[in-house]
Amino acid sequence: MDNYPALIVVAPFIAALFAGLFVWIDERLSYPIALAGLAVSLFSGIQVMIQVIASGPIQYKLAGWAPPIGIEYRIDLLNAMVLILVAGVAFLNLIASYRSVQQEISDRTGSYFTVYNLFVTGLLGVSITGDLFNLYVLIEITSLTSYAQIALGDKDRGPLASLNYVFIGVIGASFYLLGVGYLYMYTGSLNMADVAVLIKGSEGSSTVLTAFILCILGIWIKMALFPMHVWLPNAYTYSPTAFSRVVAPLMTKVMVYVMIRLMVTVFGYDYIFNTLHLSDAVVWLATLAVLAGGVMALAQKNLKKMLTYIIVCEIGYMVGGAWMGNQLGMTGAILHILNDALMTFALFLAVGNMVYRIEKVDITDLKGLFGKMPWTMGGFVLAALSIIGVPPTCGFFSKWYLILGAMEKGAYHFVAALVISSLICAVLFFKVFEICFFESGSPDHENSHGPVAIEDAPVSMIIISGLVSLSLVVTGFYSGTIVNTIILPFLK
Amino acid sequence: MRFFAFIVVCLTGALLLYGTGEFPDWGDPNSPASLHLSNYYIENALNDTGAPNFVTAVVADYRGFDTMFETAVIFCGGLACFLLLRDFREKKDHYYRHIPTGVILHVKDSQKPLTIGKEFGYMDKDWVPPDLIIKTVCRILIPFIQIYAMYVVAHGDYSPGGGFQGGVIFGSSLILLAISYDLKTLVKRVKERVLGIFAAAGVLLYAGIAALCMLMGGNFLDYSKLAPLVPWNSHHNIRAIGMLGVEIGVGIAVMAVMLIIYINIVSEGRHDEGL
Repeated sequence: MDNYPALIVVAPFIAALFAGLFVWIDERLSYPIALAGLAVSLFSGIQVMIQVIASGPIQYKLAGWAPPIGIEYRIDLLNAMVLILVAGVAFLNLIASYRSVQQEISDRTGSYFTVYNLFVTGLLGVSITGDLFNLYVLIEITSLTSYAQIALGDKDRGPLASLNYVFIGVIGASFYLLGVGYLYMYTGSLNMADVAVLIKGSEGSSTVLTAFILCILGIWIKMALFPMHVWLPNAYTYSPTAFSRVVAPLMTKVMVYVMIRLMVTVFGYDYIFNTLHLSDAVVWLATLAVLAGGVMALAQKNLKKMLTYIIVCEIGYMVGGAWMGNQLGMTGAILHILNDALMTFALFLAVGNMVYRIEKVDITDLKGLFGKMPWTMGGFVLAALSIIGVPPTCGFFSKWYLILGAMEKGAYHFVAALVISSLICAVLFFKVFEICFFESGSPDHENSHGPVAIEDAPVSMIIISGLVSLSLVVTGFYSGTIVNTIILPFLK
Repeated sequence: MRFFAFIVVCLTGALLLYGTGEFPDWGDPNSPASLHLSNYYIENALNDTGAPNFVTAVVADYRGFDTMFETAVIFCGGLACFLLLRDFREKKDHYYRHIPTGVILHVKDSQKPLTIGKEFGYMDKDWVPPDLIIKTVCRILIPFIQIYAMYVVAHGDYSPGGGFQGGVIFGSSLILLAISYDLKTLVKRVKERVLGIFAAAGVLLYAGIAALCMLMGGNFLDYSKLAPLVPWNSHHNIRAIGMLGVEIGVGIAVMAVMLIIYINIVSEGRHDEGL
């Protein structure tokens, strides 16, 4: 079957449309349809990955037109990894979040699953495409659907957070579009590979420079790199559980992927590092992002919000690694896309389980949670250790590569920021552990020493949460394999 | 803060101006944008696709995949409006008008059983008496607007137009109905359920035709593989027929989404009274 590349994006898209259709016929069918679409997408993604590993990058001509004339999908190892990641996380989250959607958005579940699938379609389309404008169209879908889903969250704060995100997100997207427009003015083409060939040799051009700055700034706004992060914490904190679980691990990571794609495929290392000499400045910016994210996370009282600031910090890791200008740094950044998505997913799954039971997750509300929700807390601890970077978990390995890359470049400020932020994460999470473990949950003193009734989240949620947390250790053990089969061949 | 914003705006403006430094001259026939791909489209669109309007050929065929997702963006807009604005809660107070006399009845608690005769009509809070001239003119105009909309959809590959424009025109004809009469007249004629189904089905028609190409052994959206499905077609390019199909899908989806957005916004999601 040659159509797997198209199926990755089209299956969840068509499933979303059918789910939207069945809202008006029999709403209960929307969920299985949406789930089936994502399953097909995940399966196709794995098939594509196998093909890419066996026989190199795949080109898929949409509508049968050869690349610069039509739109093409071009899948290499990096794409394939991101595609499986997106489809897998979205699929697992849809299983885990069924109950919380029923709880939070009870009167319009069918439409919610439709918009959820459209969001995932957008992310998949962004990761697979080889066309600059097609990328923009799918960023638009991703953004629109996420605005809608965020506004569905917290009754008071959700719509406002969404509105802030709309303003800043639209600016980011139009920056990117403007950059693509400048590139089109200069080259007359929208295909990434074609543009890369056409701008070679025009390093001094002011149009190309402007296009580069606009595209990268737009993507930075979209990925919430400090100081353009202000929309992210509120947007992710006040969105519904089902959505925050999928957007937190995926959205920013896919945007990091887009940045790397623009750097590697369109503009080229040579232009960025040898002509413009941007490495130092951006690594300093990333250092600031890491430190600022960590410090702001310290100031938070709400667990979910604290985690969103950790995302801001992690974005700094990946941007720093990618702009280090050496292979080790880039390896670290790409490995961290995978690892950070999994870690964040595991954390938000656990937090989602808590929200399902105790509704508010201010840190003081978590007292005695180890007794009440042991399984959820187990997953949470594993994910937290991974974020801190404790060895057998995967978080350690990508940080290791990032540190090696920074050492090779001599960017010791970045190394210091990495270590400091890891320490901050350790302080943060051990504070949470302490409250959850040692402080008693029940207010009356007579029962405080007796056994606490276990009241964990529903089984479907616990199983997924546990699986993902265990996958952190597994990914950690196979880090070497991932680097050798996927990342290093891609960077060659 | 404001001064800082001013500086940022100035810097961005300066960057944009700096970038235009190497732009080709306005309308320059030798600019890259008119040399690289445009020539191919202009010279080959008619032969390749059978659509004399090569803008349509680019939009619906060469870059038809983008257009499919643009339609999906419209669908997302309607869906977002429904998700965020639709209010299923019962309204507390209702207004009834005694039709022969015009006396207005305000029922504060709609839970209480109320027995009123048929001569009472349920009405908006800010109801105004209908104007005979406006109503008649609109009633005459609406069918023509709708026929024109279908013409715009169908002639998309010959003249400027297509699914988006036609769908908007069709949708606005129904919005005209809501404005000239009232929202209840529209909601009574066009059920919310029908709109929801049409919005999804329109995009599905596009994606379905595209997926059909895949089932017939071609790439996604490769209309040329549809030929065996229309055996009676002898003198039209099969790609033009495929384009017409997707344009109709776009038209349906856009029409339905226009109405969903309009109804949900003017009635604050209650679908009973509005402008």
